[in-house]
Amino acid sequence: MKNISRRSFLKTAASAATVSIAAPVVLPRSWVALAGAEKPGYFEREFGITDSLCQKVLAEALSKGGDFADLYFEHTISNSLSLEDGKVNRAYSDVSLGVGIRTVKDDQVGYGFTQEMTVESMLNAASTAATIASAKATKPAGKFEWLKTKNYYPLQKLLTSVPLESKLPLVQTANDKCFALSSQVVKVNAGFYDQQKRILVVTSDGIKAEDLQPRNYLYASVTAEKDGRRERAGWNIGGRRDFSFYTQATVDEIAKMAVDRTLVLFEAVQAPAGEMPVVLGPGVTAVLLHEAIGHGMEADFNRKKLSTYSTMIGRQVAEPFVTIIDDGTMPNYLGSINVDDEGTPGQKTVLVDKGILTSYMYDKISARHYKVKSSGNGRRESYQHYVQPRMRNTIMLAGPATPKDVIQNVTKGIYVQDVSNGQVKIGEGDFAFYVSQGKMIENGKITAPIKDMNIMGNGPKMLQNITMLASDFEMNQGGSGACGKGGQAVPCGFGQPTCLVKSMTVGGVKR
Amino acid sequence: MNKEMYDLTAWTVKTAKSAGADECRAGVGSERFVNISYRDHKPENIKEATTKQLGLEVFVNGRYSVQTTSDLRRDALKDFISNAIATTKLLAEDPYRILPDPKYYEGRAKVDLGVLDPAYNKLTPEDRHSMVKALEDSALAAGGNKVISVTAMEYDSYDELLLMSSNGFEGYRESTYFQAGAQMTIQDEGDRRPTGFDYAATAIKKNMPSPEQIGTGAAKRTLSLLGGKKLKTETLPIIIENWNVSRIVGGFLAAMNGSSIQQKRSFLADKKGQKIASKHFTIIDDPFVKGGLGSRLFDMDGFALKKRVMVDAGVLKEFFVDWYYSRKLGWEPTTGGPSNLIIPQGKRSLKEIMKDLGRGIFITGFIGGNSNSTTGDASIGITGQLFENGELVQAVAEMNIADNHLKFWNRLVEVANDPFPYSSYRMPSLVFEDVVVSGL
Repeated sequence: MKNISRRSFLKTAASAATVSIAAPVVLPRSWVALAGAEKPGYFEREFGITDSLCQKVLAEALSKGGDFADLYFEHTISNSLSLEDGKVNRAYSDVSLGVGIRTVKDDQVGYGFTQEMTVESMLNAASTAATIASAKATKPAGKFEWLKTKNYYPLQKLLTSVPLESKLPLVQTANDKCFALSSQVVKVNAGFYDQQKRILVVTSDGIKAEDLQPRNYLYASVTAEKDGRRERAGWNIGGRRDFSFYTQATVDEIAKMAVDRTLVLFEAVQAPAGEMPVVLGPGVTAVLLHEAIGHGMEADFNRKKLSTYSTMIGRQVAEPFVTIIDDGTMPNYLGSINVDDEGTPGQKTVLVDKGILTSYMYDKISARHYKVKSSGNGRRESYQHYVQPRMRNTIMLAGPATPKDVIQNVTKGIYVQDVSNGQVKIGEGDFAFYVSQGKMIENGKITAPIKDMNIMGNGPKMLQNITMLASDFEMNQGGSGACGKGGQAVPCGFGQPTCLVKSMTVGGVKR
Repeated sequence: MNKEMYDLTAWTVKTAKSAGADECRAGVGSERFVNISYRDHKPENIKEATTKQLGLEVFVNGRYSVQTTSDLRRDALKDFISNAIATTKLLAEDPYRILPDPKYYEGRAKVDLGVLDPAYNKLTPEDRHSMVKALEDSALAAGGNKVISVTAMEYDSYDELLLMSSNGFEGYRESTYFQAGAQMTIQDEGDRRPTGFDYAATAIKKNMPSPEQIGTGAAKRTLSLLGGKKLKTETLPIIIENWNVSRIVGGFLAAMNGSSIQQKRSFLADKKGQKIASKHFTIIDDPFVKGGLGSRLFDMDGFALKKRVMVDAGVLKEFFVDWYYSRKLGWEPTTGGPSNLIIPQGKRSLKEIMKDLGRGIFITGFIGGNSNSTTGDASIGITGQLFENGELVQAVAEMNIADNHLKFWNRLVEVANDPFPYSSYRMPSLVFEDVVVSGL
């Protein structure tokens, strides 16, 4: 999704003043607690954020009126370890601390944030947010109640309290395993990333919610050489996981996938160009579902009538065997959230029910516009960003066919195993994706591997053109991806079964 | 430079050294920004804040790590620094990881880059609001009855960076940035709602075009997408519009940096001194462009920068090699990445070129796509216009081009005279021949 605010992001990201990413930080003892055993009130204990302080800041945010206001406190610690040329010889760490203050009037948003947890700085940021309104002051609630939430990513131990000595061998073994699998491997990059994000949302209507959102992954990327040619591919596994998730079996799987995916590229040919049927393999290809279909169902694009789906609620948008759900409650996946970033509990939203478009994904502003309840999709990258409706784990449920049936139905087409670098134009619905792993399908059989091509299509058309779904539903197991919208990156999950789209443009070579 | 920033950076270097770092480099960056957008004749978002971030690289017993934080309380920083050093000691040794030889710090150019607008502080909230309103009004007026939605925005900032190392480097820069743009969505046939935009960005406000020019530009660009359709797959000349050239050049550049080369991920690794493109392809890295959005006197290694010809009439001359990868490769370093990248402009206008070519595709936008730095293979979706007899005749969507960089740049036959001024990639429109544009 390309838009103007994204360019300010690009500018910011490109500016040398912004050094982002990354290092293992050894934490003060008070932070090294078992997440499950923790009582609410982290921000009060660590930074002195009391109810009366919140009330004062919210009152300032509503000092010129407005429908509601909220505070979003964040303390995030990110660590990464990386290996190059056989050694784990670099570490990055980042600590991000701040509070974002938002005042909302109808669909207008005033936003200020500060990195200093002082009353004065917070009041300044609140008065910036207040400028969106120009009426009589409104009052925040007199007291705040803790929101009751479930925990979809319980931890036995905080990742930040896992000693470096335990993380290092994962990365080293991933490297050694890749080299052991093939003599054609010439370079390996491997690493482990973990992030611990703590948030506190306090709303002017009297809700406070705290969450601890872990995110982590292990990856390996391989360069191999054969007959003077080089190819490169990689693999990662992760999510909102406990450290115990990462075992020898995880390392073995990552290494095998990274090496296999690289070596197959030596056999790969370029696909033919033109219109043809496309079979999407299970799991990771659902990024296409996320991009090409999911984004258009985010309520802000519809409220502003920018999306092709803005007139389609209640309409048949797919075959009756197609059901699409956005689910924040799946345990340990990247898009799972106990609470969204404006204080709505994590939940599950059916978007397309047996082919009928039933719901968009709502944040509070859009929910008020449509006079419905928020679906818990209000998310943001950090305290520096305002809330947008965003996906969580977007999935297409399994269908009746077998994967074999699906492939046998194609005379000449391609089988897509993995895609990357996707982009969608919301208004037209047009999208393009890069196929990083795939095969030809000829006369109902999978044949030669293919590589380096785009597939292009139109989201709503693709949805109508799904003619078969198999029973082999899989979730993407990766932990590294993030979805970009309006200059904000948030982690999302996705999954689907093997799926036949009867026609798409394949951008290969002319034959 | 403000004293607080200087003191904090110097204190960090000193504290890291006394906590056990053999060497270290610290940087503090700060940005004060305002961002306003309008939709339906009222503010949609108003955002304003100051961000600060401290970055610290430590070198301990031949080991290395980097840390960044926005928690700048001195007590928190003390813990942060000692933890950073403790962590670093646990990593594997890396003999290539040392601070640069200070000889590369020397000879910093003494030129005024013209990137700081002295009038920045005089900009008022009213100025900003009236500019965005004018932008929205002109886009709406020019868009006519097809318009579904227009969002107009401005973003301005004052940025500072101070970098200091324990072996004597000190560098400071400050700059301002102004950006304005409008995004428009219009009703096409059926459910299609094409969205387009126009924008401008400069370091000095008076170099910005008028809001009316940007608003009208956004409408013109968006209306040109009406009726976009996929055409038959065909081999044609293409023209890539100036502001999109950076996207294609980006794929080429990914193979030009030291880490790609050392990690065997570069299709250009063994091509230095060789002809890899047509004679029309020249790229210059010029850090001293007056008012350039990439202009700077030193890089993040502290190297004093120079103007360099990277590709000269199709011959690959230089790579972007930072200090660390120069040691790993055993090469002389240049600089870690581009500042302002310039493709020298040609003589003819787009109009003249199109007339001459007769029939082809004028590419005004890219979508998705990828470029593989290891093999040079690339594939990318396009939108734009089919032109015939030099006239734009049909909007094009859902089409694609695919090629290998080592072949593609040999198809470059002409460079137009219209360098894009609102980016650190100051590149004109480029003309390629015999490109397969795939569609139906």
